[in-house]
Parts: sequence; structure tokens; C-alpha cells
Amino acid sequence: MKALLLKRLLQLITVVWGVGTLTFVLMRSLPGDMAYRIAASRYGQDNVNSDAAALVREELGLNQHPLEAYWHWLTDLLQFNLGNSMVSGLPVIESVQHMLGHSMLLAFAGLMVSILIAIPLGLLSAWRGNPLDSVLMGLSSAIRAMPVFVVGVLFVLLFALHLGWFPVAGYGTFAHLVLPAVTLALSLAAVSNRVVRDSAKQTFRAAFYQFSKVKGLTAWQTFHRHGVRNIAVPVVAFFGIQLVSMIEGIVMIESLFSWPGIGHGLAHAIFARDIPVIQGAALAMGVVFVLLNTLVDLLCLWIDPRGVEQ
Amino acid sequence: MRDMLKITDLAVYVDDVCLLEPISLSLREGEPLTILGQTGSGKSLLAQAIIGLLPDELRLVGQVEVLGKTLSLEERRALWGREMVMLPQEPWHALDPLMKGQEQVKEVYQLVQGEDKTTAEHKTRLDLAHVGLTENGHKRPGQLSGGMAQRLAITAATAAGANLILADEPTKGLDVTRRDDIVRLLQARAEGGSLLTITHDVAIARQLAGRLMVIKGGALVEEGEAKQILNQPTDDYTKALIAAEPKQWPEPKLAEVGNTLVLEADTVAIERGGRTLFKDISFSVHQGEVVGVVGDSGCGKSSLGDALLGLLPLQQGQLKRLSSASKPHQWLKLYQDPPSAFTSSVSLQQLLDDLVRLHKLDRSRIAPLMARLSLPEGILERNCLSVSGGELQRFAILRALLLDPVFLFADEPTSRLDPITAQEVTELLVELARETGCAVLLVSHDPDLVSKTCDQVIRLS
Repeated sequence: MKALLLKRLLQLITVVWGVGTLTFVLMRSLPGDMAYRIAASRYGQDNVNSDAAALVREELGLNQHPLEAYWHWLTDLLQFNLGNSMVSGLPVIESVQHMLGHSMLLAFAGLMVSILIAIPLGLLSAWRGNPLDSVLMGLSSAIRAMPVFVVGVLFVLLFALHLGWFPVAGYGTFAHLVLPAVTLALSLAAVSNRVVRDSAKQTFRAAFYQFSKVKGLTAWQTFHRHGVRNIAVPVVAFFGIQLVSMIEGIVMIESLFSWPGIGHGLAHAIFARDIPVIQGAALAMGVVFVLLNTLVDLLCLWIDPRGVEQ
Repeated sequence: MRDMLKITDLAVYVDDVCLLEPISLSLREGEPLTILGQTGSGKSLLAQAIIGLLPDELRLVGQVEVLGKTLSLEERRALWGREMVMLPQEPWHALDPLMKGQEQVKEVYQLVQGEDKTTAEHKTRLDLAHVGLTENGHKRPGQLSGGMAQRLAITAATAAGANLILADEPTKGLDVTRRDDIVRLLQARAEGGSLLTITHDVAIARQLAGRLMVIKGGALVEEGEAKQILNQPTDDYTKALIAAEPKQWPEPKLAEVGNTLVLEADTVAIERGGRTLFKDISFSVHQGEVVGVVGDSGCGKSSLGDALLGLLPLQQGQLKRLSSASKPHQWLKLYQDPPSAFTSSVSLQQLLDDLVRLHKLDRSRIAPLMARLSLPEGILERNCLSVSGGELQRFAILRALLLDPVFLFADEPTSRLDPITAQEVTELLVELARETGCAVLLVSHDPDLVSKTCDQVIRLS
């Protein structure tokens, strides 16, 4: 346990340094004059001339030597100072916090809905077998085969434009959350209901499951005492992987529904060459990535402590 | 004495193929019944059919009477735990891998008997103390030895009060001393009820006494008092089964062991999980010599073999491999459970072809060796799951011998085979080792088997 946490802490430090350095190098090597792009974002495309660009360059210190700039950035980072946005001038930490909060809200809402879909369907599928199993298999493959934005667009067409139940896009009320969360949930559940089904099927067939009934426990008691936990081991690990991979996959859904999350914000910052925001967003995603992984590890360890006790 | 269980013309079919020939038997209170026969003769289906656990695709014909009443499948299921119970073959698989041992007993008292938590805990403690598991109750099944797991499984199975016990190979893979413990425990648990044991182990039948039925290929060949049948068998098959017990094997001929040393171990010690398994073990192994290793389970028999192969580090001491010309792939291992040493995704032919290609072997050596090992040609088209355990272990020997091994570590190579096959495989292994000059380290839980086959015995304690 201690070893695991220590390992994760080391990983966290490496990730922060690695992600930060990589974005720094990559952004510096993008083609085009950065000062122009930033000036364009600040004053609009039509008002940019070489004077404005020079002003920006001077103000932001863009003509520093790259190594010098890197050094500044690194020392700032050690003081937890992510700097200010080059476009808006606001502290990066604030906007990243906001965006991350929105993204987490969407991610967790999506994951929760997907769990509510996947677990009952997966269990039912394992318990009843065919024809339900085959139907769900086909449906899952179909949804999985479609890119997530296609599912999203279909939902917008049906529920927002045709039926008018939910807003098309945006942020603010609970109604705004429904369509993006459900879209996300469906694409997650399409895979995870199969994982639940496989795990449940394996458990139902296991000798210990049968033995529990032979001992005298009823079917329900057996499921409760020996089913749930054993089924959960691979399922929780898989949900963890999904949650982590969602951090990157959420960009698509956020852009489609204009959700002010970190994926959306990152895309915008890249267009504007707003390096501090890009670095901040990438760093935040890296940190969340490691933290979530640690959380999932601890959860798996709690469910299945066999590995550590040996 | 009333009949606890009466079976009339019970048979099992899959489609139209008969897997278990019609059999009738009755089990009386206080008189254990043992069914003795080779593996693969449908014995296991019998216990499953009686308790009501046949897989869906199998069809059951005939009648099952429990305590004087003919019962349907549903009615028999209602008796599980309270009246009758079936013990698992593989206790490790039958126990919930994630739940502590004591919980798996306690839940029966709580959920089936309806006891409150304190009473259930108290009864569990008494039960575990009775089978010597007090110290191990908080462990999960994976941390228990085979014998401990089986004692735990028996305790859990009978906690709800069942005393009509069906036991299918209850001591598979256990040491001789553990085997006796389990049989005694079973006898105690069946008090006031009865015990139906299905086994291929003559020793269990002898220990249980009571009545005995000998089955061959699904058909009954002999029936009567266990003592009488085992002392004066009339049927040839019964005689063969009894003769296959290591205790009855012929005394070994003193073999010529070469003078060439293969391996020298000097004051070796091995540690596993922070505990020293043994220390100060010294011995030397010659060409063509069969060295036996005996000791209780968990004493490090297999670890010693693995260390000699270089698969485990030594804690202390030295190992000298004296056959300097040998290559690493000439130091080989035969595994205890043949199916887990093979992949089932390709045919045996493919496995053999891969080996031939990898080591550029001479193909013409295969056919004579296969004939020698009584492996039919057709077997190569199948995969490891569709051949018998004995055939697969002989195939494993074939695979090893093709590489001209100088040292072969056989880790309980026959403990999962029935006695007749086990004897064949062991004899073949010893014979071939002598012929080819390969040294064999034979690990076994059966002291008789070792004393009848080995030139040198290492005792670990």
C-alpha cells in the first residue's frame, strides 16, 4: 500500500515534468510566428500588424532564448505558478480549475449513467443468455462502431431539434448536462456491459459459486455473498480504465455540445498559441490521470486484496 | 438400518450417447459406500446426477430416492446443505477466492441455520479448531495448502447439518498423511448419516471399509464388503487396480547407475516468502539415476527441483552442474498438471513441429519414441484438452526426451492420473531415463512410489 502510493507520487512528479516539457517543446516548434497568432487572438485578425506583434513579443518576453524561457517556466512551476494566459491575461490556474471542474462533472455524470446501463444489462445478459445476449451484443457493437460524435449528433437531432426536450448545446442548467452525459454514457456502456456480462458469466459458472449453493445458501444469498465481489474485480478495473481514457476522449463531446470543459479549452488554446493555458491544461490532465489511476488501484486493492497479503 | 439413498437404473446421456451406464445402488445409514474405478469412467457424473448438478446439456434417466422418497431435481436441491451435500474435487476452486476462510463457514450458520452473529462466530471457531484451522481462519483460500483447503471445504459444506455426504475424489493431489486426515474427517462428519465416496484410490476404499463397488468403463464389475474384495479380489480389473498401488509395486531391480556426475548440491538452503524451507541439503546426481524427493506438502519439494533448474535462487550453498557440454534446454521439467503445461489453442502436432523447427531435431526419431510411449499417431491432431491426462503426460515425456535431456525434474508427474496409468507412466519414465542416461529428480507425495522407483531418496522435513 505504502509502496504503491510512493510509486504513484514519483510517477506524478515525472508526469508533471514530462508533460510540461513536452508541451513546451512542441508549442515552440509549431510553424508560424507566435507573436502574430497571439496578437490576432487578442485584437482580432484584422487589427494585427507587425507593430502589434512586436508589442506582444516585448510584453510576453517571446524573444527570450528558449532555454531561458524553459528555465523561467520550470522555476515558476516549482512555486506552483502556472502563469497568466497570454490572450486574456488572467491566471491560468483559475481557468484550468473551471474547465477541469466542468469536465469532471461531465465525465462522472457519463460514467455513472453508463454504470447504471451496463451493470443491469450485463448481468441480465449473463443470467438469461440468448436471445437477449445476442441482441445486446449486436447493439453494443453497432454503437461502439459509430464515432461518438455521430451518436451525439443523432441525439441532438432527435431530442433537441425534433422533440425539443433538451437544449442543443451549452452549459448552465441540469438539462444542458443530459445529452452530453447520455451520449458519453452510451459509448462507454457499449463496451462495459460486455465486460460485466463476461465477468458475471465466469463467476456464475465457477465451482465456488456452485459450492455455495450446495452448502445451502439460496441463489440470491449466493449472488450477494459470492457473486457481487468476484464479478466486480475485473469490472471495476475496467471502469477505471474507461474513466482514465475518457479524460482524453471527452474533447470530442465537449466540442460537439460546446461544453466549457478542459478538452474544449485545450483545443481553443492551441489555436491561439496560448502556451501557459496549453501547459496548464495538459498538466492538469496528466495529474488527474495519475490521481484517478491511483484511486482505481486502491479500489481494486480493497475489493481484491490477494496480491498484497501473500 | 434405513436406506439414506437409493438409486435405480440411473444413467446419463448427452443426446443419444451414454456417458454413464445404468447403475443401481443403495446407501445405508452408517455404512459408507465406496465406488472404485478409473478416471473417465463416468464416476464423477454419478455424484453430480445424484445431487442435481448435471450440466444442462446432459440428460438424466432413472430414479433417485433420498430417505425413502423419490425426489425430483427441485426437491433434491431443497435438501442441499441441510440434508445432503457434495464435496468438491478441487477445494481451491470450490472456495470463494476473495473471502476469508472463517467467513465461508460463518455464513452457513448465519444464512442457512439462521443463527445470530455471535453464535455463528462461536460455532465457526469451534469447527475450525476441530479441524486444526484456528490459526488459518483469517486466510483466503489461495493462502491455504490443498489439505487445509479441503478441511475448510468439508467444514463449510457440513455446517448446515448435512450428514448424507457425496465425496468425489476428495483427496486428489493430497499427501498420504493429509489423505488419512481427510478420510477420518469425512467419517466423523457422516456420523448419523452416510458417506458415498467416488475414488480411484484403493487406499481410501481400504480405510473407509464399508461396502465397495468396482466400476470399469461405466459398468459394475464387482460389489460387496470392501475388506473382502480388497483382500480377495475375483475380477481381473479389481486385481489390476490393487496391483497399481505403489505399495504393491514389485521391488526395484538394482540398476547400474553411471559414474558420471551430472549435478552436485552442497549445503543448499532455499527460502520462500521470507521463510527458510530447508537447509544443509547435500547430494549428488549421476547420469541415469532416479532421485526421489519426499516430504509433506509445503516442505519445499518442488522448490528444490526448481532451484536445481535455476528457476529459483538459492539462499545458501552451491550447485555445480558437472555436465558442462549440456545446453540450458537439456535441463527440463515435467509438470504436475499436464493440461496446464500445454496451450490448448493449437494441436499437439503443431507443438511438436515447433519444437522440431526450433531445435532442428531429426524427425525420424519421433515415430519410434511415440510407439515406445504407446502414443497413437492420431493423438497429434487433437489439442491438449481432448486427450486423456495419461496420454498428455506421456506426450510431455516425449517432448522432453526429444531434446536429449541430461536432467529432468518430474514434479509429481502422476499425482493427477489414476493408479493404473500412473504406474505405467512412472515405469516408462524410469526405464527411459536409464536408457538415455538422463538423470531424473522425482518429486512425489507418496513414499511408497519413491521407494519402489528411486536409486536415492532425499527426505525433506
